[in-house]
Amino acid sequence: MFRPYWMKGLFGVLGLAALAVAVPGRIAAAPAQAKVAAVELTAFKAMGSKSAPITIEVFSDFQCPACKVNYEQTLRPVIDNYVSSGKVYLVQRDFPLPMHSHSREAARWANAAAEIGKFGKVEAALYAKQETWGSTGNIEAVVTTILTPAEMRKVRQLVQSGQLDAAIDRDVALGQSRRVNQTPSLFVSKGGETVALPAGGVTYGILKQYLDYLLKK
Amino acid sequence: MADPRPLPPASPSSGIARRVLIMLGRLLVGSVFVYAAYSKLHLNGQWHVRDYWYLFAMSINSYGVLPEWGVLWLARALPWVELALGLLLISGMGLRYISVVASLLLAGFFAVMLRAHFKGLEIDCGCFGPGEKLGARTLIRDGALLGVSLALTVAAFLVPQSKRSL
Repeated sequence: MFRPYWMKGLFGVLGLAALAVAVPGRIAAAPAQAKVAAVELTAFKAMGSKSAPITIEVFSDFQCPACKVNYEQTLRPVIDNYVSSGKVYLVQRDFPLPMHSHSREAARWANAAAEIGKFGKVEAALYAKQETWGSTGNIEAVVTTILTPAEMRKVRQLVQSGQLDAAIDRDVALGQSRRVNQTPSLFVSKGGETVALPAGGVTYGILKQYLDYLLKK
Repeated sequence: MADPRPLPPASPSSGIARRVLIMLGRLLVGSVFVYAAYSKLHLNGQWHVRDYWYLFAMSINSYGVLPEWGVLWLARALPWVELALGLLLISGMGLRYISVVASLLLAGFFAVMLRAHFKGLEIDCGCFGPGEKLGARTLIRDGALLGVSLALTVAAFLVPQSKRSL
């Protein structure tokens, strides 16, 4: 049976709730969509040509499982098909999350390897052996397998110097200024406009179509 | 579809109140649908009618419920479906059928949002363009909207068609 008071009450309460939550939600979400100011990109941990038409910045945590998947299933094909052909400049930034006890240490090793031009190799090894060093904390054992003894001495010195935290903190601060709060977070820039890609849904298949569209645009 | 059994006699004021509530309900749900379509087509301060679907596809894909071809198809179609539903709800045309479709669509959205929330996925809602995290607030909002839409659907079937328009 139709009950006007029941209907009034339901429309009233639910309608007000919908409005109350929808309006502030949209206002709060708006800045994340705003254009992110272009920052001066360094060659540190970057791959490809700086003059490439598209720049992709990735904020990652070496101990985060989603970052491993993103690296192996999305970034690797992007490196092979877009970075190597000069279409994309890939900048990798550190965003070690506090919940991962060894991620900052891993970032130190990766940054130290970058100083001697071995970032790519160390990054691949860290992701490939993520479960191993993630449980033991023995990152050095993984890095040792891919660097020569001379390279290892240099990298170890850099890690022990404590000088690498400044670079990591700079990446974290940059990420925070862009409202990064999870990893991996990807930003695509072209022609002065930077777009934050939706978290968790970036696959190579869809990203490829987006990159091809941007390159044609 | 035939109307159900006649309503018991009601006072003229309660009849007007019912029709006003139905009108408010369809305007609210219709406006939200139109706004949802707008927020997917207008990004970063400009219209993206030709390329809106790339980012939206990533939002849909993050829920992990569809294969890639389904994600791409839905990303292309959904904003236009939302726009059409919103405009039809606002106009009041075919309210019974349109409100059923709107309620089913919102129920589908709500179900996948709940699933993602309880699976602990840290993803964008994708409800009103990219950049809004899925969480308790988005669930309450979409649940409330689903409630209004369901109430509107029930009301559309209970009130005789001849008396519904205002």
